[in-house]
Order: sequence, then C-alpha cells, then structure tokens
Amino acid sequence: MTDARHNVPAASLRRIRLIARHTLGEALHQRLILLFGVTGAALVLGSLWLRDFNFGGAELKFIGDFGLGVIGLGGTLLAALATAHLFFGEITSRAAACVLTRPVRRWEYLIGKFAGVTALLTLFVLTLALVLAAVLAGRGAQLGAGGVFLQACALQWMKLTLVAAMTMLVCSYAGSVLFASCAGLLLALAAQLRGFSGGGNWSWLRVWPELGLFDAEALLAAGHPAAAAWLLRLAAYWAAYLLLFVVIASHAFKRREF
Amino acid sequence: MIQSTEAPWAVEFAGFAKSYRPTWTGRRLSAVESLTLRLAPGQVLGLLGPNGSGKSTALKALAGLIMPTRGTCRVFGHAAGSDAARALVGYLPESPQFSPHLTGREFLEYCAGLSALAPAEAARRVDEMLQWSGLGAAARQRLGTYSKGMGQRLGLAQAVLHDPPLVLLDEPASGLDPQGRLDLNRLIRDLAARGRTVVFSSHLLAQAEEVCDRLALLGQGRLLAEGTPAELLGARRPAAPAPSRLEQLYLEKLREND
Repeated sequence: MTDARHNVPAASLRRIRLIARHTLGEALHQRLILLFGVTGAALVLGSLWLRDFNFGGAELKFIGDFGLGVIGLGGTLLAALATAHLFFGEITSRAAACVLTRPVRRWEYLIGKFAGVTALLTLFVLTLALVLAAVLAGRGAQLGAGGVFLQACALQWMKLTLVAAMTMLVCSYAGSVLFASCAGLLLALAAQLRGFSGGGNWSWLRVWPELGLFDAEALLAAGHPAAAAWLLRLAAYWAAYLLLFVVIASHAFKRREF
Repeated sequence: MIQSTEAPWAVEFAGFAKSYRPTWTGRRLSAVESLTLRLAPGQVLGLLGPNGSGKSTALKALAGLIMPTRGTCRVFGHAAGSDAARALVGYLPESPQFSPHLTGREFLEYCAGLSALAPAEAARRVDEMLQWSGLGAAARQRLGTYSKGMGQRLGLAQAVLHDPPLVLLDEPASGLDPQGRLDLNRLIRDLAARGRTVVFSSHLLAQAEEVCDRLALLGQGRLLAEGTPAELLGARRPAAPAPSRLEQLYLEKLREND
C-alpha cells in the first residue's frame, strides 16, 4: 500500500520557500497591506509639504527624520498586523490544516510564514526608502556619502523583523488575530521603551530586546556611518533575539491543536 | 474484523479520548470518550452522527491536528501526527477556503510542492487530479470564482494529490447539490477501487450507505454501533431510503429540463 513516495521527506528549504512565497502572495493581495504601502509612500512624499513645520531644524534633517519615522512607525504597525493576519488567515479558513497534514514540519511552516512576512517588510522598507531617497535627492542631499542612508534603512528593517518575530511568537499560541496583533504591538512598545526601564522593579525588562538601539535618527544626525564593530554587535544582538523568538514560537506551535 | 497480523491496521483507535477546556477557567468538555475502532486497509469507513458527536475530532486526531487526551490513535501502525503518519495521509477539512487569488492549478502545484513530489511527478499528478476531479476546464480560473461544489472537488483533489494510502474527508458533502454529491460518491468509490482507505464523516445516511464498507455511528462522543451496512441495517436493508428516491426524482427532472 505504501511506497517510496510515502517515505518521510527530509526537512526542506524548498518547502519553506514555497510557504514564504505563498505568504507573500497572500500579503500582496490584501487591501489593508497595500494601503499601508501607499499611505507610507504618500506620507514620505508629503514631507515635502510638511517641511515648513521643521521646528527650527535643517530641512534635509527634517525630511530624513520624518521619512525614517514613517518607515519605523508604519512598518511596526504593518509588521504586527500583517504577521497576525497572515498567520490566522490560513488557520480560520482551514487552509492551514491542508498544509499541516502534509509532510510539512510545523517549524517549517512557521519559518516559511515568517520568511514571507520578512519579504513583505523588505519590500515595504525598500519602496519607502526609494521614495525617501528620491525626495532627499530632489532637495540636494548627497545620499551616497558613506552609506549612512543605507545603514539607517537597514536598521529600520532589522527593527521591523524583530517586531514580526515577537508577533509570531504570540501567534504561535494565541487564539485570535485581534489578540495577536494587539499583543504584538504592546510587546513592540515595551521593546521601544525598554531603554527607559532603568533599575528597581523594572529591571526584569532587560531580558527583552531594546528596539531603541535600531533607531536611525542619531545616525543621520551624526552624518557619518556607524563603526563596523558596533554594527556587527548590533547584528549579532538582532540575530540572537530573532533566533530565540523563532525557536520558542516553533516549540509552542508544535503543540498547537487545530 | 479479521486482519493479518503482519499488516498494520490502516486506522486504529484504542481507548481514544479527547477533551477540551473551552476557556482557561472553564471545566473540560469531552468531545470523544474511549473510542476503540479499527479499519483494514482498502476499506471505506463512514463516521455518522449528529453535530457534536465527535466525528470531526476523530478525523482531526487521525490527521495529527489534535493529540489524544487518553488512549492512542494510529495510522498504518504509526502514531497519528508523526512525520511517518502524515506522509500517508490526505486530509480535506470541513468547508475549507483556499486563497482566492490563486488558480486551481496554482493551488494544486503549491500543494504538490509541499508534498515533496518531484517536479515532473508533481506536474503529472496536478494534471491527473484536475481531470479526475472534473476541474480541468476551470484549472486557470481564480479560486475566488469557484462554486462551493468546485471548491469541494478541489479540496478532494488536494487531499489525494500525493496519492496517500489513507484519505480523510470531513463532511465532504457539506453544501453540495445532489449532482455534486453523486460526483463525490463516484470519486470516493474510485479511490476505494484503487485500494485507498477512506474515512469520511457525514450527516447523509443514504450517501454513507451507498459508498461505505463499514459504518460507525457516534453520539455524544461515544461509539454507538459499528459494522458493515448489512450488519447494521439487517432486515431494514431492502427499504430504499426516501432521500435517495427524492434525489433521483430531482435529478431526473433536471435532466428532463436539460
């Protein structure tokens, strides 16, 4: 009755890639997600008209800060909402059951979903960064100087993927898209404010990642790229937390019932 | 049921029980209580019973989507939900909704990729399944435009795409018109003729009587009766069930109208 076709397949990057591509396709067909991209791009463009409200700062600095702020804030909202929505969309439609009853390991499914969301965030950051670069270049900024602009955008991207990983962690055991997206946003807020935790009763918060480290405004203000050693340490910090969140989420998801 | 000691049962529940806690603080509710049931390879088993009788729970346990609270649940000798068991199972959940932006062919190609079929075999199986399920003409149509019946046939096609020895169908006739039900019966009988084991849940007694080798009647999570239709119906067997005659009349009238 059973033959070689029914042997247990090894873990496969191909399946992860398929799930990621499918997730990205789903995301790009969601109106809410497209709205984020269009609104974000419109806001970055809108900084040209808002530059009169620059509170005394230099025009280019204002546009840069505003644009990166849009990428950071819009991206944080997108990371939490899209992760929760794309994760629960397949569960509530029962399409996930068709995937998870195949020889697909649960961690492969979870990592595939996360990779799809990461691809979406990459597209979001790239699109808005291109719009911002065009706006800044149009006002005479020298973007090529030292790669500061690229570094700032990369930091934003790293921050957003961490928010998506936090939300994925919540999704792995949460029961609803509303809870998962709200909890994901609250965890992102806690991570953003983590730098203010200080000592005393709030010292336990130090186990949580500090998203403030990825804020790029200081980088832009300094006008020169960050030291390679600092960037490497930050990348290791990012990778460690990402791995931790994905491993815990995979463990929780393995026990999840449908 | 007589079964060789060498070949494992296609399906084996031994004292299987499943209970849920609907809320964190609520008391546990029993979905299935001590179910013991075996099915030999190549047979068609119909799980019959009212809503809440435990049919879907039993199917989900076989598919590895839920874990037993007590007892065991095995598929061809492997613990249900294990990698080895999932490689042998095809599953159609109740009323699934697949990504509306995909075409029927794209969806099956996605499923084939997840089932670890080699690309050439995947292409061949996708073509075969589209023809087998009668969706060849609609293969390039978006799933958002599919009717309920077409969606169910696509669901069935994805469940048998990798030619699994055990096919699990949760309420496959749900929402189908009489012609759709007849098509479904034909597909189930075809699977049985190919030596596949099929377990499906249904409210439709006439359908179950027509296609099943064995029937299991469940009520409030308990197995009320189990056997072949002849064993269960006994002297009542000759009486044709009224819904079947009504379906025949309905179909005759439709044909006359055509």
